Amino acid sequence: MKFIYQDLLNFLAERPSKELLSEKLFQLGHEHEIDGDIFDMELTPNRGDCLSLNGLARDLNIFFGKAEPLKIFEGDIEPYNLDFKNLSPDVCPKISFLEIEVESKPYEYKPYLENYFSLLGNNKTNFFTDISNYISYELGQPTHCFDSNTINHQLIFENRNCDEFFKTLLSSDIKLKGKNCIFSVNNEIISLAGVMGGMSTACTTKTKKALVECAFFNPEAIIGKSVKYNLTSDASHKFERGVDIQAQEKVLRRFIEIANDHAAIKNIKIQTFEESQAQQDSIPINVNKINKILGTDIEEKEYLRYLDKLNFGIREEIIIPSYRHDISSQNDLAEEVARIIGYNNIVSKPLEISKKPEKTINNIERLKNYLIKNGFSEVINFPFTRNEDKQSISIDNPLDSNRNHLRTSLKDSLVDNLLYNERRQKDSIKFFEISDLYLKNNQIQEEKKLGIIISGRRGHNYFDFSKKLDSAYFSELLNQDSNNQDLVIEEISRAELKTKKKDRIFYLEISIDKIPKHLYNDSESRMNQINFIKYQSVSEFPSSTRDFSFSIKDIEKYDAVINHLSDLSDENLKDAFVFDFYENKKLNEIKVGVRLIFQSNLKTLSEEDIQKSVNELLQPIIDLEGISIPGLY
Amino acid sequence: MSKIDNIELPLIKDEVGSLHPINQVKDFLISMLADLGFQEVDGPEIESEEFNFDMLNIKKSHPARQMHDTFYLENKSNVLRTHTSPVQIRSMIKSNPPLAYTSAGKVYRKDDDATHLPMFHQVEGICVDTDVTFANLKYLIHQILNNLFGKDVKIRFRPSYFPFTEPSAEVDILSENGKWLEILGCGIVNPIVLKNCNINPEKYSGLAFGLGVERIAMLKYGVNDIREFYKSNLDFLSQFK
Repeated sequence: MKFIYQDLLNFLAERPSKELLSEKLFQLGHEHEIDGDIFDMELTPNRGDCLSLNGLARDLNIFFGKAEPLKIFEGDIEPYNLDFKNLSPDVCPKISFLEIEVESKPYEYKPYLENYFSLLGNNKTNFFTDISNYISYELGQPTHCFDSNTINHQLIFENRNCDEFFKTLLSSDIKLKGKNCIFSVNNEIISLAGVMGGMSTACTTKTKKALVECAFFNPEAIIGKSVKYNLTSDASHKFERGVDIQAQEKVLRRFIEIANDHAAIKNIKIQTFEESQAQQDSIPINVNKINKILGTDIEEKEYLRYLDKLNFGIREEIIIPSYRHDISSQNDLAEEVARIIGYNNIVSKPLEISKKPEKTINNIERLKNYLIKNGFSEVINFPFTRNEDKQSISIDNPLDSNRNHLRTSLKDSLVDNLLYNERRQKDSIKFFEISDLYLKNNQIQEEKKLGIIISGRRGHNYFDFSKKLDSAYFSELLNQDSNNQDLVIEEISRAELKTKKKDRIFYLEISIDKIPKHLYNDSESRMNQINFIKYQSVSEFPSSTRDFSFSIKDIEKYDAVINHLSDLSDENLKDAFVFDFYENKKLNEIKVGVRLIFQSNLKTLSEEDIQKSVNELLQPIIDLEGISIPGLY
Repeated sequence: MSKIDNIELPLIKDEVGSLHPINQVKDFLISMLADLGFQEVDGPEIESEEFNFDMLNIKKSHPARQMHDTFYLENKSNVLRTHTSPVQIRSMIKSNPPLAYTSAGKVYRKDDDATHLPMFHQVEGICVDTDVTFANLKYLIHQILNNLFGKDVKIRFRPSYFPFTEPSAEVDILSENGKWLEILGCGIVNPIVLKNCNINPEKYSGLAFGLGVERIAMLKYGVNDIREFYKSNLDFLSQFK
């Protein structure tokens, strides 16, 4: 909801600055952003009563007072005798109708009405609908204007099962299904109540006589309809949150006042249909309870003053205003008091929790530690998949058809993770995931599983560089007991994955409770050891690899070479490691193979960029006597 | 002895892996809350509507229960939990106050855009005892946020709305660029929820709070795009060793 700062000031006795107004709105829990003179409110769903200038002013009353009441039409109005039948009074316990006819329509609107459209970016529609929209902005009560000449038979309201089309006033055809609140004439649906009116009875710029409907609809009957039919409207937003059951006649009188302010009125008639007088709810006065909830020490007199300023009735009990559908308990009243005091002004008091839990390291944590020490990275995947098997649990309302089931295995997710990283030039991949899986077997079964996938080089060091991650590595990692039937290592076929890489892929999936105990040996707790590093954004550009083989014939220089290699630094150098090491004792020569990986966060590096970095990185080594890179320097 | 026999081999590159950053933050929060007295409890990700909504005073008409917000399973027989609160409900039913529980794990909402994911992680806490007040809640929240963001962090409480707490609050911290950032939701447990768990609301009161793990991870690590956490990119994951 957006409002113009000056418009709200017209509802307040004082004229707070925008800054002070903003501060108090935040204190009351009304989040917003300010753009010039426009406040864009994001109200919590329980505060439908604040979706108007009047509603916000009521809440701000304690800080800035109330302005004089809005001018409403005070004159006598001829009773109406509308042919109307309410078949669902439980859903619509109160409804008022105004028939209003004007001599002619205005050429222009007065500033207060004009600003509502020009400053808030609202579209004008026709005279009556424009007043209707403005009144909703002022008072929070939606009204609907029918062209009176189109209502030629009995008007019926009902909440009934529908299976028919309805053309909205925005000209869209909606297939109504299931139970809906509707107005109909002659068996034709003319309005989806509380959401949007229909095309056939809508007012136009030519309309001079309108039938203005102003109702209270039970929010439960309206909720979900605008989403279901994709018909977002201000009316549905307000009716879903609840409007004031006492406001209808006042709202229609305000309608007349605004119409009268712009045009000569020829005729007005009004009629209210109410099943039974709405009961006023109340809550006992109990300031001790309020203090017990908040941890405060407020006196009763002060407490009642706060509530009085919020328009609660103070009698033997506290009478809840008819528009406050969010209030029903002492806790609700405590929140009212806290909002007025200001949450930030409530002094905090120590909380003593008597029973302290024992901190222990659990088996999953031990298992994770073991895998991480062995170079594995943990991944977390979404559980959604399009793959379905007999045990898959289906999602009734998936995000899309590719995510309409819950996975029954971790394998596909881990294979996807592996392929994703292979495409990003990773040549040694070791991932694991631990997750609950859910299966359908008469009833839903839950199982926590570990999935491990490996492929590529064993490592990036001269011991492991030329070795591959394979089933032998897996057996070594798991210290596999050949009799353990649960540890089934599977080789995943590259052919089925349609990838060009040749490294073999091995996979293991096992229930957590079947994992061999020796993998739980690690007793070091990682909890509380977090290191909040500052993350460096990941490059989306390809990396380039350069391998160099140093020949060190002057052994005295060996340490200098190694020290230099472990201290390489360049803005485009992403990684550097010794992948080969060979001592030729016969020739008293050492050969060191070094891999440099270059990648930029800004661009794809050119050959020239890389060569420049290589020269700068390696020249100090080449300059050493007795060091060479055969075939290159 | 020739000189070559005296050399030291080049250091082997340390190739340890990494725990997922979201789990690191989650575990850190659980550990911190354990120090404050909260015992971790666990529960299923697939929940009944009764435990995910009804027991928490989330009425049938509440927007969160609509198909566009919650994933329904197997002809609406169950839901993917939208928060970890049902874990606390299940635990409260089985025990008597005083109690202080924390529940942590994956939760699901039907969202998928640049700033929202259909799956994310929460750490929630609940404490029920005689005379637990909003003033106690403020004290606890200050402790949590001081542990996370330092003792000088500026904290703001704003009234908010959650069906399961009353009064409810959202808590912001002041960022380095002077903007308030929403960091958690909290409140006094709605007496209806206590009653649903067979706890006498006339005798006991409770406080509850919920932290979004991704939100905290993004702030602490400086990750701007929430989707980065779930790409399983080794270049990303390997930074969190």
